[in-house]
Amino acid sequence: MNKQHPVKTIFPALTSMQTAIYLLILIALLSAVGTIIPQGEESRFYIQHYGQYPGTFITLLGLNHLYQVWWYQVLMGFLCLSLLLCSYQRLRRTCNLASTGSLILHLGMVVIIVGATWSLGYAKSVYLEINEGEAAFLKDYGLKEGYLQVKKFKVDYYPDHSPRQYYAHLSLQDYKGGNYEENIAVNHPLEAAGLKIYQTSWSWSMQADVIQDENKQQLSLQNGIAVPLPDNSSLEIKALFIPDYQEDGMGLQTKSPYPNNPRMLATLMKEGQIADMMVLAPGESQNLGGYTIVFQGFAPYTGLTIKEDRGVNMVFTGFALLSLGLLIRYRNLYRRKAA
Amino acid sequence: MENHLLNIGFALLLTGIMVNLYSLWWSTERLQNIIKGIFWLALLSLTVAIIVRIAATGRLPSASMYEFILIFTWAILCLFVITRQKFNSPVFDLLSNILVVLLLLAASFLPSETRPLMPALQSAWLHIHVLTAIIAYGSFAVAFCLAGVYLFQENNTATAELRRLDQLIYRLVVLGFVFLSLVIITGAIWAEQVWGNWWTWDPKETWSLVTWLVYAAYLHARRTYNWKGRKSAVMVIVGFVVVLITLFGVSLILPGLHSYI
Repeated sequence: MNKQHPVKTIFPALTSMQTAIYLLILIALLSAVGTIIPQGEESRFYIQHYGQYPGTFITLLGLNHLYQVWWYQVLMGFLCLSLLLCSYQRLRRTCNLASTGSLILHLGMVVIIVGATWSLGYAKSVYLEINEGEAAFLKDYGLKEGYLQVKKFKVDYYPDHSPRQYYAHLSLQDYKGGNYEENIAVNHPLEAAGLKIYQTSWSWSMQADVIQDENKQQLSLQNGIAVPLPDNSSLEIKALFIPDYQEDGMGLQTKSPYPNNPRMLATLMKEGQIADMMVLAPGESQNLGGYTIVFQGFAPYTGLTIKEDRGVNMVFTGFALLSLGLLIRYRNLYRRKAA
Repeated sequence: MENHLLNIGFALLLTGIMVNLYSLWWSTERLQNIIKGIFWLALLSLTVAIIVRIAATGRLPSASMYEFILIFTWAILCLFVITRQKFNSPVFDLLSNILVVLLLLAASFLPSETRPLMPALQSAWLHIHVLTAIIAYGSFAVAFCLAGVYLFQENNTATAELRRLDQLIYRLVVLGFVFLSLVIITGAIWAEQVWGNWWTWDPKETWSLVTWLVYAAYLHARRTYNWKGRKSAVMVIVGFVVVLITLFGVSLILPGLHSYI
């Protein structure tokens, strides 16, 4: 029996344009499927939504994280190879500028896919929340050495009180002694010391003392996030920040997003149920379910995404190659009478 | 003012559909000139409506589905009147006219109030991304209408004329493909600036890639298998269905980062 080595069978297949077209259509169909099946959920979610067998089938094939699953990556790899081989063959057959353009644009696609794969394996991305006036050592979060301080955080609003822009004044010291200071905003990240720092989120943080008997605990409470009381695991305290409290008894709404008349709504939670609730002004102390709560102060905190990713440069190089290739490939389309 | 202008444009295009239908049976040079005049006037009223909106908001109308449909329709009309100089057919007029009227009708059901730009949209990339998008999708739309003409007139048109039509469709698809590549690239660069991720498999992103792959398959099939004429026209129609899913289906059904449009 004439048994060929697998490489000898796969190689001619990859040089065929037919394979490239099938791969393009297959990847298009699979990518579309990934937008219909919710991604990244637990396996029981799919069993609940699609039934026992379809749900198991989805998780077994990895359709619940389709774009990261190994066989999707392998298909992308085959597409890369196929693109390169086909363009190279075309260039060998007809060596002209259009074929060169075609090779460049396909090379661009390969560079993009390689860059993306590199990012998938080696890029680091960390989300950090830092209070205004506070700082973080980046090494504690698995990034390179650096000291990042949030000197100031500010939100600009439109007249209808919808947010116009978020600004964080950052200071970054890297391990080489470099010092970078910049005002970042959404769409304007800080790029320094091989890192990129993005303004991602924000909210209010409240400082409160929790006193029971002679025992005083200082807590930093993030808006809307329940925190267990240190000495009692069954109790949680949740604080909501009301920046501009309405005194006229119109409920717990705020008049504006500006902290003109700040209040902290402190809620004591027992097993997920509200046990007690209290509104406090800054400096005020109140009894909350047997605990004395003192509202010491408040400050905004900013959520920053910090990235270390060299793959992005490769991807952007791929974009440039792809654009250049397209330009060369189709430069004559509107000049000639017939293509 | 903007609404009045849009209503005038809409009324003109509706009248255009009736004149187009009439011209399918009885076409004269005078009737053709009337149709041409209607398109130019509709384009003018839409252009002024968009300028009025730009003057009111101080930015390109690209921050909501309503605004996008407005400039998308405008781009289709522009590309249509340019293409019409090269290829004139009552069926082409009718199909393009119906498409534009349907888009304007869809826009009339959407909230049209101007709203300030959220921080993520405050970037020069917004304008580049949207401008490239309307050229890309506008080209695909006009190619779709021409593909419809091809299938409709295939049996009663001279071969040379059909070849010319096929070539025109191909050129429009290439224009759309080049600009769709730029839409995806500018979107990715912008997303990297805003969120630190140039690609997140957001449904809109993914479907724009699917659209790109479908038209890439069209271009390759055309070259490799010499898929011209009928097969090619069918593929352009399938491509435009995918465009419609990307532009509207995804926004209506699948939630994601493009939720504002």
